[in-house]
Amino acid sequence: MGVSPVSGDILHITALSLLVSGTSTLVATLIAVPIGTFLGLREVGSARLLRNILFTLYGLPPVLAGLLVFLVLSRAGPLGPLGLLYTPLGMVIAQVVITTPIILGITMSVVSTVERRVKDTAFVLGADRYQLSITVLREAAAGVLTAIMVGFGRAISEVGAVFIVGGHIEGQTQVLTTTIIIDVAQAEYSHALTLGVILLVIAAAIYSLLYRLQEKTLA
Amino acid sequence: MHFRSAWRYFLVILVAAGVALAVVAFLSLPRGHLLMATTTSTRDTGLLPYLLPHFAEEPEGVEVRYIAVGTGQALDAARRGDADVVMVHAPTLEAQFLASGDGRCRNLIMYNTFVIVGPVGDPAGIRNATSATAGFLRIYQNNSLFESRADNSGTYTKELELWTAAGLNASTFGTWYEKTNQGMGATLTIANEKLAYTLSDDGTWYARELTLPYLGLLYSRGDAVLRNQYSVIPVNPAAHPGALAEKALTFANWLVLPRAQALIGAFAVNGHTIFTPNAGDNASNPWACPP
Amino acid sequence: MTMSLDVAGLVKSFREREVLRGIDVRVAPGEIFAIVGPSGAGKTTLLRCIDFLLSPEAGDIRYDGQAAPSEPAPMIALRRRIGMVAQNPYLFRGTASYNVSFGLCIRDVEGGELETRTMEALTGVGLAGVAGTRASVLSAGEAQRVAFARAVVVRPDLLLLDEYTANLDPANVNILESAVREYNRSTGATVVLVTHNMFQAKRLATRVALLLEGRIVEAGPVREFFESPRDPRTLAFVRGEYAF
Repeated sequence: MGVSPVSGDILHITALSLLVSGTSTLVATLIAVPIGTFLGLREVGSARLLRNILFTLYGLPPVLAGLLVFLVLSRAGPLGPLGLLYTPLGMVIAQVVITTPIILGITMSVVSTVERRVKDTAFVLGADRYQLSITVLREAAAGVLTAIMVGFGRAISEVGAVFIVGGHIEGQTQVLTTTIIIDVAQAEYSHALTLGVILLVIAAAIYSLLYRLQEKTLA
Repeated sequence: MHFRSAWRYFLVILVAAGVALAVVAFLSLPRGHLLMATTTSTRDTGLLPYLLPHFAEEPEGVEVRYIAVGTGQALDAARRGDADVVMVHAPTLEAQFLASGDGRCRNLIMYNTFVIVGPVGDPAGIRNATSATAGFLRIYQNNSLFESRADNSGTYTKELELWTAAGLNASTFGTWYEKTNQGMGATLTIANEKLAYTLSDDGTWYARELTLPYLGLLYSRGDAVLRNQYSVIPVNPAAHPGALAEKALTFANWLVLPRAQALIGAFAVNGHTIFTPNAGDNASNPWACPP
Repeated sequence: MTMSLDVAGLVKSFREREVLRGIDVRVAPGEIFAIVGPSGAGKTTLLRCIDFLLSPEAGDIRYDGQAAPSEPAPMIALRRRIGMVAQNPYLFRGTASYNVSFGLCIRDVEGGELETRTMEALTGVGLAGVAGTRASVLSAGEAQRVAFARAVVVRPDLLLLDEYTANLDPANVNILESAVREYNRSTGATVVLVTHNMFQAKRLATRVALLLEGRIVEAGPVREFFESPRDPRTLAFVRGEYAF
């Protein structure tokens, strides 16, 4: 069958998928883990409003996030002059919007359920605020790792937002998921299946890595 | 001890994120290529990967990248300033686009023909219809399953024209009339699966023929009304200052040059040359682009 | 180094239930002071107030005659002079020596000094051999000894022990009692020992107090407390006859 005119090069597509989703996950982690830890450590009450906002963002459909990012990045939109629509950076922005609440929510959840005894023990041993946070985070490490992996899984299997913001441009913004959509519309089923298998392999690799890391971080 | 190493983990992730972002940003830099918004049928025929590299090789040419969406979205992308040039085949919508000042000028490039495809068994018996309109009438009378694109595309506009010419109102049709809201390729795939009739441009049909085993080309007499004219419209820089106006104009003018027209005429898909270059018709085109 | 402790009129309630109803007690620097009483009397609550895990509603605690400072830096400095070992302590994810060295890390001790002091502390509780073992696989007795080493490696001036040998077998109880005796002897630090084991109080303490229904009923030198207490409730309690 060869390479169809609409599908491009498999290697290029896979590399871009990994780059876009990997970058978004890294950026989302940098934002979400510190904030999630901070919120998870706070007693109830002050964080309640923030938590409600967070749970709303949790339920934000990725495709809606894509639409909102599209409207912002379009030249007709507020960030238009940056020219980020239909670029990989635009796709990363959309995926960061989608992934950050997920990582933040799970981190906050695992941190807040760390036993009171952990905080008390560290406190009694003389920990200051920062040291306490690090200690709790360390005890919750397995959960935080899960949060990051779940975030990446969401990012790499997402299709709506990257399609809207990326435009599936050949040689520039074609990723595994968008290509599968176009392939199916074109009845290029074997090509689509190949890409699907690649996605599965990536998912399997990520989750086995997660498993190995979790085993190391559990007491 | 480990409080310091916590910082180190954070730093490692920060650096990794920074490097990754730098790579992504580099890939996102404007490289002086033109962004064209076009319809799915120009992509689905395979014309663009064939034709565009030739423009890039020209001394004044650049790489042309494209998003292939419906005609409506293509024109809207240009209106928002997200594209530099459009290539569509919807004369009415194009006229509006020019009248509103969004388009700078318009060059006619090529045309192909709309055809009616349907299940190989042809239950509505349109194979020997005397006109496309008659064919549509037979489909209606037979209540045969019909897939309509129902998007803002030239194909859909033409389809509605044909229903009207047959004295029918598409909004009154029953459940045999289905709307896919998608591009030509997707609609053909659906028609194939559901053994339905649909209106297609012959370019997409010939490009996809081998993957549509349950459909056949049933009506292809090339009535005048079935002519599908493609045009290229550079975006008006007065309305959208960000557009690469000069390159867009160069591109629009290149497409009507003899060598580009020859390339278009020679383009074949599965043994069929599907486009008829007609730059000559620009002589009587009031909106033709200045050289 | 050492510390004196003065508690006056301490009141602490949880949701309308008054646990501490006005505690008055004085601990002299360098002594081992035992607090005995029935479960639920408020002994743990008292220790947690002393170590800033809880804030009292009323009353006063003075450390070396000074109230707790309000600025963060001197506050942390004071907190770092106090140590606590609870019953069923929490051990952090990692090895025994990671746990023991935790307090040293907090105080920015590193490298050679950290390693030396960690090994010393582990040896002091007879656990030099399990330094590299994961804390989660230690036995209850070993875990408690690690927790003790973790608390004393940083040389607190005031050591609070909350039933720290409850549920342990006699061999481990022995090791931990020797350890605290040795710590008190070599550093002169003050020790407040909460226990419901009279024999342990007799073995270790110089002075004892009875905490009953939120108040200190009697406090005095160990001999007097057990042999000729002033309060009839003390007598009844010591004999195991106190009904509540």
